Amino acid sequence: MFRFTMGDRAPLYSAILQTFGDANERLVTALGLDDVREQLRGVGWFGALTDDDLTGALKALREWELLDVIQNHAENYRTAEEYERRNLQYSLTRRGEAAFAGVQHALSVLVSTGALQTAVLDAIADRLEELDRLAQDAASGDRRIFATLQELEGHLDALRGNTKQFNGELQRLLRTDGAELSTFHEVKGATVAYLQEFLTNLDQRAHSVSAAVARVEEHGPRTLWERALRGAELPPAGGDDPAAAWLARRQARWDGLRAWFLPVDGSPPRVEQLHHVARRAIVTLLQVLDRITESRRRSTGAVQDFRELARWFAAAPGEDGLHRLWATAFGLGPSRHAHLAHADPELVSATESWRDAPPVEVSALLRTSGRTERFTRTGRVRDVAALKAERAERARAERAELEAAWSLLRTESPVRLSRFGALDHEVFERLLDLLGRALAVRPDATGARRSVTGDGRVEVVLRPPADPQGAPAVLRTARGALSCPDYVIEVHTVGASGAFDVMDREVVAG
Amino acid sequence: MSNFANQLVVAEREEMSRCIRTLLVRPLLTERADPVVFDLVRRRRDPLAHWFDYHCGWTLAVEPRLGYARLLKFNAEADASRPARRTRAGRAPFDRRRYVLLCLTAAELLSVPVTTIGLLADRVVQAASADEALSAFDTAQRAERVAFVDVLRLLESYGALQTVDGATDSFAESVEAKVLYRVDSSVLMRLLAAPCGPSRIAVPAADIPARFEELLTGLVEERRYGLPVGGDAADDAQPDTPLSPVRRNLWLRHSVLRRLLDQPVLHRDELSEAELGYLASPTGRQILRRAAEQAGFVLEERAEGFMLVDPDAIATDSKFPDDANHAKVAALLLLDVLNAAPAGCAPEQLAVEAERILDRFPRWGKAYRTEGGAAALADDAVRVLADFRLVRREGGRVVPRPAAARYRVTSATLKEEHPA
Repeated sequence: MFRFTMGDRAPLYSAILQTFGDANERLVTALGLDDVREQLRGVGWFGALTDDDLTGALKALREWELLDVIQNHAENYRTAEEYERRNLQYSLTRRGEAAFAGVQHALSVLVSTGALQTAVLDAIADRLEELDRLAQDAASGDRRIFATLQELEGHLDALRGNTKQFNGELQRLLRTDGAELSTFHEVKGATVAYLQEFLTNLDQRAHSVSAAVARVEEHGPRTLWERALRGAELPPAGGDDPAAAWLARRQARWDGLRAWFLPVDGSPPRVEQLHHVARRAIVTLLQVLDRITESRRRSTGAVQDFRELARWFAAAPGEDGLHRLWATAFGLGPSRHAHLAHADPELVSATESWRDAPPVEVSALLRTSGRTERFTRTGRVRDVAALKAERAERARAERAELEAAWSLLRTESPVRLSRFGALDHEVFERLLDLLGRALAVRPDATGARRSVTGDGRVEVVLRPPADPQGAPAVLRTARGALSCPDYVIEVHTVGASGAFDVMDREVVAG
Repeated sequence: MSNFANQLVVAEREEMSRCIRTLLVRPLLTERADPVVFDLVRRRRDPLAHWFDYHCGWTLAVEPRLGYARLLKFNAEADASRPARRTRAGRAPFDRRRYVLLCLTAAELLSVPVTTIGLLADRVVQAASADEALSAFDTAQRAERVAFVDVLRLLESYGALQTVDGATDSFAESVEAKVLYRVDSSVLMRLLAAPCGPSRIAVPAADIPARFEELLTGLVEERRYGLPVGGDAADDAQPDTPLSPVRRNLWLRHSVLRRLLDQPVLHRDELSEAELGYLASPTGRQILRRAAEQAGFVLEERAEGFMLVDPDAIATDSKFPDDANHAKVAALLLLDVLNAAPAGCAPEQLAVEAERILDRFPRWGKAYRTEGGAAALADDAVRVLADFRLVRREGGRVVPRPAAARYRVTSATLKEEHPA
């Protein structure tokens, strides 16, 4: 049916069909050869056209059953040419009409832009109200009902068509990239504004439509349609009664309307999906915009740099050239250094030649057996790594001891010195250090001495013994015992955990 | 308590030196690859950045939240001994195809936050076909897909790409492989270290081979020193571009330390008059000495040159002498031969020596047991030595360089080797 749209003569075919279509609008149903030629100018065909071409085209269209030919035998013709010109009258077949309409529709879809019009929703609500009013008024004309119903369905079609198109356009918009940033910005920005505008009143309008639908439902739309059917005054057609099919179609349309605004089964109406789609589109559009702006801002130079480098790599001379370019441009290569040093580098003067200076000690095993010692056997090759690790370990251990000692000495509340009882020597040294610090400062008005360690992490408060005449405190360590006045001591540490529970400690000591 | 304060200082010094050396060997350090060192770098990023800027003029960018640290390390005298390598066993160096694909892929990745391997491959196909200087990328061929996979794996190892779903390797088997990536464009942007963007010195494709050296020097040209284009401070005598003493000193410090910190040895004959003068001056000496100490290197200065020795072997991608592979062992033994012949050896002589080495080590694998195996072994060994800058090829001969004498055999070691 659409063969006329293909091949290099397609424009001519289309133009011819267009002339017939236009003629139909003027209620002219048949055109002769000369009429066609004349009308072609009217539809914008200005190409050179011989009679043979035109006849050929018409013949082709006849073969595809898009055109029909009517002959008039009543007149007399002198030549075959005249006969052809004046006698043969062409008209569109049903198929031709459909094909033409199809193409027209396709073209209009191509040029039109989708839009969601809130006005359509208003119109639908309006028509529904009117239907409701007409249905309740027995005096109103059936024709009126028919006309209103037609309008309603027209608006519904428009809504559906627009939505379909708008959604398609939105998806296309989200897909396109590489467009000029400024136009992109503009189009998408405008779309976002439009969508927001649309969304603001969508709820309210959808509600008024669904309310109107419900009202019409109350009176039963069936009677409405029957009255409309009477008003429609369907033309008689051969075969079965068109009324049943007509009514069925109305029912289908009505179901469609309900699916949009007030679904029978209580599922969410389709107009809500419109909401979702629009809202999602806004978010996506804004994200795409952000991304484009951001990527433009960040990588204008870098993308070009990488592309240019690809060209350089493609043309670089030799394998070494490649690696040198890599090293220079990317700088991702590792550094490289010798790892064997003299045991005592200070011994060799800086002015001595490598040839005269003593060589570094290379594992003899490597020379004889091709393997280095995995375990330093007699320390011939000084394993500095192990030494360093050992030192680091020792340092860590020392620090850990220090921390542990402090956390052991930490007290939740003031305790008497004597309750420390027996202590590890290391911990004892820390305690002694703290006591020394506290005793070095003058007591304040309450007799307490406060001191803080050099790094500020430990605070010690020392108060005089509660019972000055009591027994002195004795602290024992593995190396001896210290006896001193039984001060009341408080130790606070900052940020340390693991409180020293004096009670536990006492049990151990006891 | 003074004990504790000392500990802090020691710890700080050790951490600094460890960070410096780790960043030298891994200029793009990710948290995933080494969380411990990354944490140190994160905490000491300010002194570290200052250290690198002062001594080398290199920028250190640390992104704690993104989990990477990038030392923008570049060097006017980069050699070919440290290519990009495939991240699989064997670690074969990248070839031309892979380098080209790497650049194309990075360019395409910059514009998308998330992508799949198929979409990415399509974009690279388009990018390659859009540029007549490049040959087409054909995903129908397995070899091309494998190259593409290698490129993606390298980017993954840098943290520029993250696999969300699937495995990159599956693309080598089938174009239909489903792999989802998240792209870290901030890492991508930092892959290029050269101070001058290649797109700013673009030349027609036909001129690239002829003007290649010019392009390389153009990449590392820096305005901060006020140097004339492609100029060397020492040889420059143009009266209309005077170097201020400050800039001149800055340039000398950076150019010397960049090379010393990156290369195994720096012979005096590779340095210009001005650089030698700087190293001989009290300031230069002091700065070099202090830099070596802070970075945890042992500075070895001899009549013929300088080297920074890292006793912990942190700041090096490979070790010599070492027994990591047969070529390295052979390299040490060939070095003994070369040290005995200061005028150098012809490759044939070395092949004969390699033959002898193979006889000594009957257990060495099949790799060098084939026809011409000895020559191949000698060749590999010489490459090891050249990579450590211990020998130089001069007119077909392999000539030892002064630093090679560090590893010569002494009478003491000989005695041990051949007990009476």
